[in-house]
Amino acid sequence: MSFLSAAVRQVVGLFVRDWLQSAVVLVILGAGWFAVARVGAPAVAVMVLLLAGQLVWFASVEGRSSAGEANPSG
Amino acid sequence: MGQQLFIFGAAFLGSAVESTEALTIVLAVGLTRGWRAPLLGAGAAVVILAVLVLAFGQLIVTTIPDSALKLVVGTLLLLFGLRWLHKAVLRSAGAEALHDEEHAYKQTVTQLSGAAGTDWVGFVLALKGVFLEGLEVVFIVIGVGGTGHGFPAAIAGGVVAALVVAAAGFAVRRPLARVPENTLKYAVGVILTSLGTFWAAEGMGVEWPLDFVSIAGLAVTYFVASRLAVGLIRRRPRGQAVAA
Repeated sequence: MSFLSAAVRQVVGLFVRDWLQSAVVLVILGAGWFAVARVGAPAVAVMVLLLAGQLVWFASVEGRSSAGEANPSG
Repeated sequence: MGQQLFIFGAAFLGSAVESTEALTIVLAVGLTRGWRAPLLGAGAAVVILAVLVLAFGQLIVTTIPDSALKLVVGTLLLLFGLRWLHKAVLRSAGAEALHDEEHAYKQTVTQLSGAAGTDWVGFVLALKGVFLEGLEVVFIVIGVGGTGHGFPAAIAGGVVAALVVAAAGFAVRRPLARVPENTLKYAVGVILTSLGTFWAAEGMGVEWPLDFVSIAGLAVTYFVASRLAVGLIRRRPRGQAVAA
């Protein structure tokens, strides 16, 4: 049973590191799909930039907070 | 031809990283408890994984419409790649410890030193380790190859990676600590994120300029974004030490 639950956790963990970040990615893709049908190519460029932007945002927030935890005096 | 090579390379690199992690577990069990049980466990895991790839891979590719397949697999591949890239950014900036196969190996050996009794412990540990790490290989193979009519190239990439890593592990009989795993994970994270974006957008009906070559542009975008994130993390407020 623990093997099965580990497998399920592993499968979910393949795609989700942070639920909020995953939700943001899905929202960007959903909005992108909607916009691509109406605007076309420019919407793809915006979608890619938003996807890259969320990576910068979430990684830098997590990186800075773990650095803060490692050295709370700062 | 170029597309097939790209798919082979992406599947090879991604699978090599995961195979190295699986090998570490098998080596730790084999060198401390004997080889029979861990090799049987690893073999059983490989058989289960092969069945999963053949069953689900073919089923998915033959039954789901092309655009829906690209959208779903592209989205999953994007999430998968972003998870790797996110972790690689944190490691590169020194905000998270680098993955260390020597350390993982010693941890498993310590875990095993207290376990007395039958070979079942070695069998189950190897089966579990190879199966769980192999799940990632399965997803990489299906995700990379299943959408671009490159399934054979992706399977070949995954199999060759597993064979190369297994042969290297057999030759040195210790963890492959010299494999630049963190760098590989960074590169594969960029590639998988780009492929995921490419296919998800194709699933939405987008026609990319220059077709498959656009992936290079996406890779540059994600790489620049990841370096920007590394720079932002490193540029921490005054008084905080750099953990790298």
